[in-house]
Amino acid sequence: MHRRHALVTLGALAATPFLAVPSPARAEKRRGGILKVSAPFNPSTLDPITGGLGSDHMVLYPIFDTLVDFEPATLAPRPGLATSWEFTDPTTLVLALRPDVLFHDGTKMDAAAVKANLDRARTDERSAVKGDLQSLQSVEVVGPLQVALRLSRPDTALPLILADRAGMMCSPKAIAERGRQHDRNPVGTGPFRFERWNDNDAVVLVRNEAYWDKQRPYLDGIHFRIITDLNTGLRAVLAGETNFAYRLNPQQKIVADRMASRVRVSSTPTIADYHLLFNYGRAPLQDVRVRQAINFALDRDGFNKAALLGLGVPAQTMLPPGYWAHDESLNNFYTHDPARARKLLAEAGHPNGIDIRFFGYSDQASQQRHEIIIEQLRQSGIRAQMMVGSSADMYQRFMVQGEGDMLLALWTGRPDPSQPFLLVYGENGFNNAGKVPPPPEMVRAQAASQSESSQEARKRAFAQLERAALEHALSAELAFVPGIEVFTPNVQGYVPNLLGKPKFNDIFLAD
Amino acid sequence: MNRRQLLLIGSRLLQVVPVVILATVAIFGLLQLVPGDPAAVIAGEYATAERIADIRRMLGLDRPVWEQYVVWLGHAVQGDLSASLITGQPVLDEVLRRLPNTLLITVLALVLAVLIGVPLGILAATRVDRPTDRIVTTIASLGVAVPNFWLGMILVGFFALGLGWFPTTGAASLTQDPLRALSHAALPALALATGGIAEITRQLRSALIEVLSSQYVRTLHAKGLSNARILWQHGLKNVSLTLLTVVGLVFNRALGATVAIEAVFAIPGTGSLVVASATNKDFPVVQGVVFVLVLIVIGLNLMIDLLYSLLDPRVNRR
Repeated sequence: MHRRHALVTLGALAATPFLAVPSPARAEKRRGGILKVSAPFNPSTLDPITGGLGSDHMVLYPIFDTLVDFEPATLAPRPGLATSWEFTDPTTLVLALRPDVLFHDGTKMDAAAVKANLDRARTDERSAVKGDLQSLQSVEVVGPLQVALRLSRPDTALPLILADRAGMMCSPKAIAERGRQHDRNPVGTGPFRFERWNDNDAVVLVRNEAYWDKQRPYLDGIHFRIITDLNTGLRAVLAGETNFAYRLNPQQKIVADRMASRVRVSSTPTIADYHLLFNYGRAPLQDVRVRQAINFALDRDGFNKAALLGLGVPAQTMLPPGYWAHDESLNNFYTHDPARARKLLAEAGHPNGIDIRFFGYSDQASQQRHEIIIEQLRQSGIRAQMMVGSSADMYQRFMVQGEGDMLLALWTGRPDPSQPFLLVYGENGFNNAGKVPPPPEMVRAQAASQSESSQEARKRAFAQLERAALEHALSAELAFVPGIEVFTPNVQGYVPNLLGKPKFNDIFLAD
Repeated sequence: MNRRQLLLIGSRLLQVVPVVILATVAIFGLLQLVPGDPAAVIAGEYATAERIADIRRMLGLDRPVWEQYVVWLGHAVQGDLSASLITGQPVLDEVLRRLPNTLLITVLALVLAVLIGVPLGILAATRVDRPTDRIVTTIASLGVAVPNFWLGMILVGFFALGLGWFPTTGAASLTQDPLRALSHAALPALALATGGIAEITRQLRSALIEVLSSQYVRTLHAKGLSNARILWQHGLKNVSLTLLTVVGLVFNRALGATVAIEAVFAIPGTGSLVVASATNKDFPVVQGVVFVLVLIVIGLNLMIDLLYSLLDPRVNRR
């Protein structure tokens, strides 16, 4: 019992809130109205287990409750469909479930449903979240509202993993009946029911009248209008045709700021950052000195000012300054030092500079970022040969085919801080292009970060992980992006979160 | 309908076959050159090489390119445009759902182009080398040069965001809510129409100048006919074939330009569908749209040919 409380509350206590959360509106929460959202991406699927895009979450959150929820400002875990959880021993996580929760098809959300969902997530051939559930060995129904998760190794990251796709509960009946069609016709327990999805056009959700929290939702429905051009999406909000646009660029914030009489603009830090991923499985980035040279050649402040108009936060590791798991003493580990970069290159046997193959995405905003980076590197004698293509293609070529030396990508962050290090530097990490095993001290720190249950011990482990990543220069982190949202003044109760993935569940529309 | 017209229709319908095959082969070939892999898109951000290979096998993408094309064509000739690789949805449904939105702005653009371009052309042709003519031809040159998507954004900024007269984005069904549909279509149609207005003005002006300076018009003047009667009864009748040809070209060009305009106005039409599908290399969808658009263009050309024979009986006698 003590442990359970310890775990649920620790995150909240140790976490230093560094997100300025707008104070909730004092106005009476009005019921009714449809929230219209300019969504920049067509969902990959609406089944949380089979989909693969970070941009799907905005549509998934209203349809699916997660087993564990998170505090928007700190990402500390808080009760979701599971009202509490406890590690009864280091490899057993017991979840107590919320009673009287129904799926949208009227079936019960109980221990058997959770088992069915987690088993599907870790074994289904189409599951995209198997990687998140590597430590999960089996799921046992202990009681009607209690499940035990048996793990192959201690994994304290699991509660927050259950706040992501893996913890979104679908109706087992709907999965059995609809099969692949569940991708396009999903059934969850969330505050909104799925109604219709026209590709590249609209996703329509309506209020779930039987939602377990009788107070919510306030809205009658959410209409996502898929508008892939961000400028057009913003114009729709400025004209009052939609109420909300998200994932906007700093440049668009300036446009919206000028229209302050029509819209509200929210810009908050997130744990998503731009980074240069290296393939250090072969020359020339096999040599740590070359990787360090790149890190010294980069001017992170300059990048933040030029690419993000100064709205971002310069990054050293994948954990942002102010975040509970981040070691603040590392904030100036790599400074902009072209002389040192040249010296390191010379030591590595490249006195005349070096050529590297730089991969990136072909959209206009990415190209702008590439140009900044190419110029910064050039000043230290690093000549980047640029190659661009669609994001899915370049990502696959770099990560799976092993082409190129360096890729500029956006790391979208994960609720639990142990995930980034595992997914990016881990031997089988999807973002470890060279599939090079991480240094031994990193492996030890990774294990500690997942087996320690006290927040202080975890913090120490994360400090070691961050330091190892920096010393070995396994990537070059550039800057954390701001989460920029623009909405009409009648949109109330919106709370931005540190993940940078807006949740619309608690929004209401004022008169 | 006479025998000649029936023959014309028959031969035009036969033309559909090689044109569709050529168009789809070209599109298919071009899509192969575009980098990208639908399997990678489906597999998502954290896919393994095995999973991508599995998906490729499932979709038949591991088969030779020509075989993929032949399989697609085999289904298409039976009216089955197959399904999207990415979403698994039937292509024909998707195209038919979106086509009305695209046709509405294209047809409206054509109507605007004719309604504005024809009077301007007449105005210029009847006042050759006078200030009115100079102004009209200058505006027409600008109309040809201005990119329509840029003009679209300017129109939105002024008429939609500034004055609030029109919606900035989206579309509505013409059958369910005609007024709303027209207000949605107005700005995109106007943006699409500018090129057409300019084209019609210029072509009509030069054709009309030629006709009005011909010898029989001089004779008509000598007979004492009024300027207005010469223009309306003889001049315009003679340039109607030119006008018809230009209108056909303007329509086809506008249909192509919807790709950019639909993005600016967030219209769920075939143009935006092609863009979204091409970036994902979702070839059944791209092929399906091209297939349907080719049919429309050929149908329109046929209609224009038939109108030729109505307007000018000499066409039939040849």
